[in-house]
Amino acid sequence: MTSELVWPSHDAPEREMLVAFVEFHRATLLQKCEGLTDAQLRQRSVPPSSMSLIGLVRHCTEVERNWFQRVLQRQQIDGIYYSDDDPDGEFDNVETANVEEDFAIFRETCAESRRATNAAESLDVTGVRRGKDVSLRWILTHVIEEYARHNGHADFLRECIDGRTGN
Amino acid sequence: MLRAWLDYHRATLAWKCEGLSDDQLREAAVPPSTLTLLGLVRHLAEVERWWFRVVFAREPDVEIFPSDGAGDGEWRHLDIANVAADFAAWGKECDAARAIEAAAASLDDTGRWASDSNPDQPLEPSLRWILTHMIEEYARHNGHVDLLRERIDGQTGD
Repeated sequence: MTSELVWPSHDAPEREMLVAFVEFHRATLLQKCEGLTDAQLRQRSVPPSSMSLIGLVRHCTEVERNWFQRVLQRQQIDGIYYSDDDPDGEFDNVETANVEEDFAIFRETCAESRRATNAAESLDVTGVRRGKDVSLRWILTHVIEEYARHNGHADFLRECIDGRTGN
Repeated sequence: MLRAWLDYHRATLAWKCEGLSDDQLREAAVPPSTLTLLGLVRHLAEVERWWFRVVFAREPDVEIFPSDGAGDGEWRHLDIANVAADFAAWGKECDAARAIEAAAASLDDTGRWASDSNPDQPLEPSLRWILTHMIEEYARHNGHVDLLRERIDGQTGD
């Protein structure tokens, strides 16, 4: 499992730059998970938070599906890891998670998000969230800040597992 | 839109620090990490200053929390820091950054940054890049802030 971090170019056009920042954070999350055992990936290493690295990967899968499939592409889809009866399943049910499968689903979901993004004619293309139009520009910017915040969580989770810091 | 997201994260940081004592703001609550809420506020004051005043507005680079041979000043000597003054310094940098950004003609306007390792080939980041980077930098630190605050008194949420 390798993931290369590419710092987004300083002078890229808007669309290219937004996509580059999203990719930077997808790769950062995978890098934060590298070289750990399944047990370490499941570890809730910053209690009382229930977060774990595999929980974050599962959550980011749901984030990708929500914004690129449900909102941008207006698909009616259910959650993979959560339901009405189990609203935080992606974080709560990590003890029984199939880690390898969860990473495969994450990568596949990111690929689907890239296809959805590339298919949009411009950043002004809109999807629908809770009855309101949202542009691809807004979606990409939100996804950047959501990933970045979760990668802040991932920084601490990783440091508390084996001391590794930095990106 | 970029301005609104950046202000959202500035406001999140301020909110996450509310209602805590000076000692709690100085607490390295997620060991082995040495990060503290106060250290992050001081760091983000320097980050605001660097990207908006030094890189974009090309002002002289004068640190708020001077570094010495032992490392960046913002993370050090927190035990003797004046918490109220540090928050005021951060607020002042946010105001300066907003003024610089508001006065810019276009998101395509560029700053200038010659790194120590490559002084002959300065980078020229656009204001769009700077704002987007600031959003993801704040957001990542607010991820740290989330877990620091939860450890200090159990408060979560955004």
